[in-house]
Amino acid sequence: MSLTVEERDELRSTARSLCDRKSPSERVRAVVADPPGFDRALWDEMVGLGWSSIHVPAAHGGSDAGYAALAVVLHELGRAMVPSPFLASAVLATSALMCSDNNALASELLGALVAGGSIGSVAFASTDGTYEVSRLTTGWERVDATVRLNGSSGFVLDADVADVLIVGACSDDGTPAVVAIDSASAGVRIEPAASVDETRRLFSVAFTDVVVAEERMLCEPGARAEELLDQILAVGVIAAACDATGATERMLDRTADYAKDRMQFGKPIGSFQAVKHHCANIAIAVEASRAAVNAAAVALDGEPNAWARNASVTSSYVGPACTEACGFGLRVHGGIGFTWEHDSHLYLKRVMLDEVMFGTPSWHRRRLARTVIESVQEEELQRS
Amino acid sequence: MVVHEPGGNLDELRRSVREWCATHIPKDWQDQQRGATNDELVAFLRWWGAELRATGLLVPHWPKEWGGGFSIPEQVVIAEELARGGAPRNGLYHVGVFNAAPTLVHSATPEQQQRFLPGILNGEVWCQGFSEPNAGSDLASLQTRAVLDGDNYVVTGQKVWTSWAQVADWCMLLVRTDPEASKHKGITLLVVDMHSPGIEVRPIKQAYGASDFNEVFFDEVVVPVDQRIGRENDGWAVAQGTLAAERAIFILEMTERLRLNGIEAAVREAAGWRLESGEPALEDAGVREAIAESYAEAEVLRHILNAMIENVIRGVDVGGTSAIIKIFYAEVIQKLMRAVTGWQGVRGQLDEPLLECAGWETGFWMNDYIHSFGHAIGGGTSEIMRNVIGERMLGLPR
Ligand SMILES: Cc1cc2nc3c(=O)[nH]c(=O)nc-3n(C[C@H](O)[C@H](O)[C@H](O)COP(=O)(O)OP(=O)(O)OC[C@H]3O[C@@H](n4cnc5c(N)ncnc54)[C@H](O)[C@@H]3O)c2cc1C
Repeated sequence: MSLTVEERDELRSTARSLCDRKSPSERVRAVVADPPGFDRALWDEMVGLGWSSIHVPAAHGGSDAGYAALAVVLHELGRAMVPSPFLASAVLATSALMCSDNNALASELLGALVAGGSIGSVAFASTDGTYEVSRLTTGWERVDATVRLNGSSGFVLDADVADVLIVGACSDDGTPAVVAIDSASAGVRIEPAASVDETRRLFSVAFTDVVVAEERMLCEPGARAEELLDQILAVGVIAAACDATGATERMLDRTADYAKDRMQFGKPIGSFQAVKHHCANIAIAVEASRAAVNAAAVALDGEPNAWARNASVTSSYVGPACTEACGFGLRVHGGIGFTWEHDSHLYLKRVMLDEVMFGTPSWHRRRLARTVIESVQEEELQRS
Repeated sequence: MVVHEPGGNLDELRRSVREWCATHIPKDWQDQQRGATNDELVAFLRWWGAELRATGLLVPHWPKEWGGGFSIPEQVVIAEELARGGAPRNGLYHVGVFNAAPTLVHSATPEQQQRFLPGILNGEVWCQGFSEPNAGSDLASLQTRAVLDGDNYVVTGQKVWTSWAQVADWCMLLVRTDPEASKHKGITLLVVDMHSPGIEVRPIKQAYGASDFNEVFFDEVVVPVDQRIGRENDGWAVAQGTLAAERAIFILEMTERLRLNGIEAAVREAAGWRLESGEPALEDAGVREAIAESYAEAEVLRHILNAMIENVIRGVDVGGTSAIIKIFYAEVIQKLMRAVTGWQGVRGQLDEPLLECAGWETGFWMNDYIHSFGHAIGGGTSEIMRNVIGERMLGLPR
């Protein structure tokens, strides 16, 4: 059941006020400086408020408000640059289970994720950061009634605090599979791979003869597993774009405020057309990104076969637009914008990680080109 | 050791500098400096400055009697070869060698020149105390006060973004001596001993992680009158003494670093991996086009610089071109760093130890990208440079 416009506004204002209170940027800086690198109390509070399961069907204990509602939360978390396992657990792992064909497994794991006792993450990128299934660097094989994992995955969010890891793997003969493992299983080794964006926590995860029961597969290996991985990816792309949009919107607010306050040549710098136009260009990027991610989130509440296309449209536009906008925001701040103390670089770095975390815009454009060209050609065929 | 002298054959000079670079630039200096502390960096740059000095290449653009005397074409050759050889970038001495010295040569008394120029050659570090919290783009509104008291000025105020002030021996300081005069008229340029009582330097960390600019506080700092450069209240004109030729040669060296080493690093980076699709990055049309585009732009910038340098030699005004090359360079580096981080994808977002003193081509592309914003801000923002082009070059109304 989707939220009304009023309900969505209310959710937004609740989320914003909580983030303003609990995660001002000084707090973000303090939190990332010490282990675990996020504010566990705030995370528990978010889970308690039902944010992490807002899109989860009621049957699994969620609010059933859809991805459109989740997008509101993600936007606010991006605005405040909240370091938290939200993207890993509430978005990626939860969505993977929601898309899974294995109802028993989904019920069991979603129950724990929704209740907040458990944190999840998804390991589905190769060690060099690609999501092409054929290039995954974690392998699997069937041994009797078990699945055995070997290899490693890169760029796994919050792996060190995840109880459940959902792993995308590819067998020697090129068959993909998706399996849920307990992160404490023998043979799992988790190592930090710090990103330039300090508000995010990335890890590489190595698997050495990790054995897991066949029943822990989220779906049939092969085509269906590939489809499932693609669905998780689409959710990831759109979620990261929501985050980037929120962060850029905050950058816009701060930049416009600064342009009104900062005086040079006896005037607020915002009165110089060069500065005014930079601000206006940031506003265009924010407005367009917001429209794009909202539409993409609505699409996630619909037919999964349209997800990939929507994700690619989102990645193509939102990532580059937000990166460019935050760069100009930094520049409008002059020397202050170039300091560590000022938050400009934090927004820019967060948005740049968002841009490529689930595949580069260039890769998504190529995927999109294939879809667009094929559909035009098909139409032409039908007409002739 | 070979000592390079001006006035010889250009090809001979090129050959000799190239050979010197090959034998004197430590092969592994980049690896050694990666992750270096500020002290290690400064020690390394001091050592490198001394090496350059010993072979006669630290100050080619200075007058002959002070240790330079190389013609502009010779300076071009030297800059090209240092860039080609991948020499460390000596940011520590930049203000002394490129800003303070030309100003001193132009506007200081012979006694002052004798007092300060040899020190720069001997490794004294200078900083430039121009910008203040409320006087950045609008530099002429600066407020740091200097009051004459007998044979001394007494200086009180605050500067900010002062590069290398934390290790500087001297500061070229712009102060207000006549608060009643119109804002460009009441400014004076002083040379301040950074070891004087009453100076406090607080480092500021930069967006990309280094801490080499500072806030500098002056509390009744005593500066002898004989450390004033030029006349009282004439400091605005005196401070413009950074000559177009020096700016051109400096950007030329940076451009050559980009055109040769930067592009080479981008090619090497791309050669090592496959795009997400599995295609070797170097065979990808987008990657190839981006490399070629940046190479072409760097080469075009080289041509602008060549034309500018010819005009400098002929004595033609190049004020507008100075602004153009600054903007052009900032945009070329940003575009290349952005392109490479684009192909690297999420891999390129991993943190690495910092390498300073290598221009914008350290191989840590994400950081180089963040660092490159400094070039669009420091030394006059790109927006201000565009105003300069519009107003001074094209005569557009203010
Ligand atoms: C890496 C670095 C090193 C530096 N080193 C030194 C140093 O050693 N010594 C020193 O004295 N200073 C130094 N600076 C300071 C530098 O010169 C100033 O940052 C710069 O002049 C801009 O001033 P500001 O920071 O006050 O920005 P502001 O002047 O406040 O500018 C803010 C924004 O407004 C824009 N703007 C302002 N006025 C106009 C206008 N009229 N028209 C259009 N746009 C306008 C600017 O372009 C900018 O985008 C350094 C700066 C950096 C980034």
